[in-house]
Amino acid sequence: MKQMKWAGVLLASILVLSMLSGCGSSGKQTLNIYSWADNFDEEVLADFEKQYDVKIVYDVFANNEDLLAKMKTGGSGYDLIQPSDYMVDTMIKEDLLAPLNMDNIPNFANIDPAYKDPVFDPGNKYSIVYMTGVTGIAYNKKYIKEEIDSWEDLWNPAYKGKVLLLDDNREVIGMALKKAGKSNSSMDEAEITAAVDDLKQLLPSVLAFDTDNIKNKMIQEEGWIGTVWSGDASVIAADNPDVAYVVPKEGGTIWADNYAIPKNAKNQELAEKFINFMLEPEVSAKNYESIGYSDPNIKAKEFHSEEYNADTMINLSAEELSRTEWLGDVGDQLQIYDESWTELKSGR
Amino acid sequence: MRKSSLSVLPVVLWLGVFLVVPMLIVVGMSFMGRDQAGGVVFDINLTSYARFFDSLYLGIYWDTIVLSVLTTVICLVLSYPLAYYIANSGPKRQTWGLILVTIPFWINFLIRTYAWVLLLRTQGVVNNLLIDIGLIQEPLQMLYTRGAVLLGMVYTFIPFMVLPIYVALEQMDKKLLEAASDLGASSWRAFWHITLPQTKSGIMTGSVLVYVSTTGMFVVTDILGGAKSAMISNVIQAQFSGARDWPFGSALSIIFVITSLIMIALFNRAMTSRHLRVKEGR
Repeated sequence: MKQMKWAGVLLASILVLSMLSGCGSSGKQTLNIYSWADNFDEEVLADFEKQYDVKIVYDVFANNEDLLAKMKTGGSGYDLIQPSDYMVDTMIKEDLLAPLNMDNIPNFANIDPAYKDPVFDPGNKYSIVYMTGVTGIAYNKKYIKEEIDSWEDLWNPAYKGKVLLLDDNREVIGMALKKAGKSNSSMDEAEITAAVDDLKQLLPSVLAFDTDNIKNKMIQEEGWIGTVWSGDASVIAADNPDVAYVVPKEGGTIWADNYAIPKNAKNQELAEKFINFMLEPEVSAKNYESIGYSDPNIKAKEFHSEEYNADTMINLSAEELSRTEWLGDVGDQLQIYDESWTELKSGR
Repeated sequence: MRKSSLSVLPVVLWLGVFLVVPMLIVVGMSFMGRDQAGGVVFDINLTSYARFFDSLYLGIYWDTIVLSVLTTVICLVLSYPLAYYIANSGPKRQTWGLILVTIPFWINFLIRTYAWVLLLRTQGVVNNLLIDIGLIQEPLQMLYTRGAVLLGMVYTFIPFMVLPIYVALEQMDKKLLEAASDLGASSWRAFWHITLPQTKSGIMTGSVLVYVSTTGMFVVTDILGGAKSAMISNVIQAQFSGARDWPFGSALSIIFVITSLIMIALFNRAMTSRHLRVKEGR
């Protein structure tokens, strides 16, 4: 019993101490980042801390909706966040983002014009692209000898029980919509229902729905074919050279995680300095080399390794990119997406 | 009297702040509307509750109940002999038995679940072993099935059944068994009429713990079930994230809590009435 009491006292003091430490007694400025797990090269973050004599606090979220929920409660205390494309759109509409002061980010000029002025944030008023990818088909050539070039190929009965799909209603229903030649963000109930009916035909072939661990399932050859992001495909191929990637002829969904600053950020200027630092060609090369995604920084090309520049899954061709479409906000139709998705996943 | 009522004040405060208030928020939210960005808007209605009665959600809830009952029954059948064995061993073995039952708790639950993935997948330990000893030629698809989900649930929650039953067995009056044997009862008969009724509290506690935990579990269905067999908890989780419909998620949670309470009450009654009957019969 006495021990319990001491444990309580200890816990309480740890709590109090951790609260106090948040006040930052060292006097160093703190940059509070809220982003996805493993989204930056750690050395690059340390370099920034040293160069600007600041401390970086890096918290992670698992999906855009968690980020949105936190931002909406206000007073989150974050200076830099990384919402995906459609979430930037939502956050602008919800008035949660601060306009960027481009005077502090001259390196914005280094960004590939293809990634400037995106549909979800015209004129880059609130966001700058950080990393992008395209949802295409990854397949294992050891088991699949046919040529793969269409979403239709996932429905091939020969791959029964070996098909992997992302665990994301917009991505997967969007894929079926693209297959039918429609927009991946259709608001037409009939089109959505038709796409879901089509997916129900695919369901018996599906091994699993997975987003976070789809890479392992492809590497371990549990799945032969599936909907995979281009950057993930590159990671898979590095571990399992039999895996190839293709952007299907009907086109695929393109997505981007972005830099943005919350409206109530305490250190907006520091966050802008950070973005500018990350866009330095050499820093950029080091960072993307480590995280293995495509670098939208054109000036960084010469600092990248030959291997990185030659990777066709990281550096998609202009022709492939021309066949892609961003996910748009579907408003109240989101409920139809969610209901059909639940129906699909419960096998009904 | 005054003193004692004052001393429970911290407990009441604690429960009030961390249990009652959040529950009230959930109840309140379940009657509200949602806006496009997933916000909750003040607009009292019953839409969220009405949606539950769609055959889709009723079906998923039925599946959840079936799986949870099945998990509870399997846990009970497996746990009782184990708890019985541990409770009737010498002191040293008892300690070791209890340590072995609780050891899995020392390791993060997610890691233990992923360990099952390593065991069950097509190129996993079990398949490789079966192929090596020539029992099968082609790997079996064990992972991402409803069977894998059931296995994962039973594995995860079995300690919740073993421990309460062990405690009940440990606390029962062993002299009654001696008396029964003196009066010529077979050991099976003594078990049926003395041990089993006396450990009912343990069985009940264990069953409620396993049942409630299983209905609320959504990670096992995702990892071992390949996210293909949605349970009600997966649907609730989705409402708070991707579907951005907190009122519907809240309504589902409330329905979930109420039906679980009813199930527990029914179970409780079934157990006690049987207990009474046994007593009166004697």
